[in-house]
Amino acid sequence: MRRMREKFEEAEEETGEINLVPYMDIVTNIIIFLLASVINQVPLGTVNVSSPTFGAGGAGDNADKPALNLTVTVGISGFTLAGSGGVMPPIPKLPTGDYDYNALTAKLTEIKKQFSDETKATFNADAVTPYDTVVKTLDAMRYYKDEKEQREKVLFPDVVFAAGIL
Amino acid sequence: MATGRSSVPPDVASRLAGKRAIRSYARKLADPEDIKDLNITPMMDMMTIILVFLLKSFTSSATLINLDQNLSLPPSMTQLAPKQAVPVTITKRVLLVEGEAVAPINNGRIDPQLKRDGDNGYYITPLVELLSKVARREKRVAEVTGQKFDGELTIIADKRTPYRLLTEVLYSCGQAEYANYRLLVLKSRE
Repeated sequence: MRRMREKFEEAEEETGEINLVPYMDIVTNIIIFLLASVINQVPLGTVNVSSPTFGAGGAGDNADKPALNLTVTVGISGFTLAGSGGVMPPIPKLPTGDYDYNALTAKLTEIKKQFSDETKATFNADAVTPYDTVVKTLDAMRYYKDEKEQREKVLFPDVVFAAGIL
Repeated sequence: MATGRSSVPPDVASRLAGKRAIRSYARKLADPEDIKDLNITPMMDMMTIILVFLLKSFTSSATLINLDQNLSLPPSMTQLAPKQAVPVTITKRVLLVEGEAVAPINNGRIDPQLKRDGDNGYYITPLVELLSKVARREKRVAEVTGQKFDGELTIIADKRTPYRLLTEVLYSCGQAEYANYRLLVLKSRE
């Protein structure tokens, strides 16, 4: 019996048990570090825009339907909308000095109703327009909330930055 | 008592001794103060899974940026998630490509000497040179991996950046064959 036990103990000593404590220390530290960095992450998103492409329109363009060529311009005094048909009356700033994004969306919604297939728009702005205003204007140009259907509808999400500036 | 035990046959006595040993071992196990080695295998399984999950979510965030007083992103209602692309950063003081400083920015303007056409120019020479190198590298990678070079850039700009500077940077990026831009913003509900 004793011989058997000795034999068993010897075998146990030979294979041994892996000491997992250092491994656990490392893993626990890494987990704490990763948890902290994941929690600190800010929610980031992107707005897609493209630079102007020069040259003739695509071959697939409908020749019978006039192109809209919508251009939204952010000026010092407000927004200006222009299309193939002409320039629309400008949308002035609010009395508070902020740009009237809701009015811009409302105007673009009206245009969208007449040109439901159009998704492209050109963006232009004054040289001193801050980037914050640019992003807000792009937001106002992209979607509108349909109150009747209670969902967001696409306006002009394919924004191209104009070749020059004001 | 001793006489009683002596009357027990030897085989029964050894069996009783065995049972006693088992009982004492069971008591030892049941006693919480006397745990010699904790079974940590399930805990390790769990920790390894958490580690893998956290590592994955850590690396899947395409862009890691340091927001400070020189770089604060504008809020936007967009729901598009960032994608891996070459980052071009416009902070209040410096223009960077992939974290490498390209040109200093003073009061929202690039030094005219760094522009090909002077003060009114759009062509930021060091930016085009560096981005052309990056584009060549990306094209080689795209060739080897059999993918298409999509010419996409992530623009990380401070919210106070004037549109003029943004246009100059985008124009220069366009000269280096990058024509699609992803403007990095903070997701917000309002």
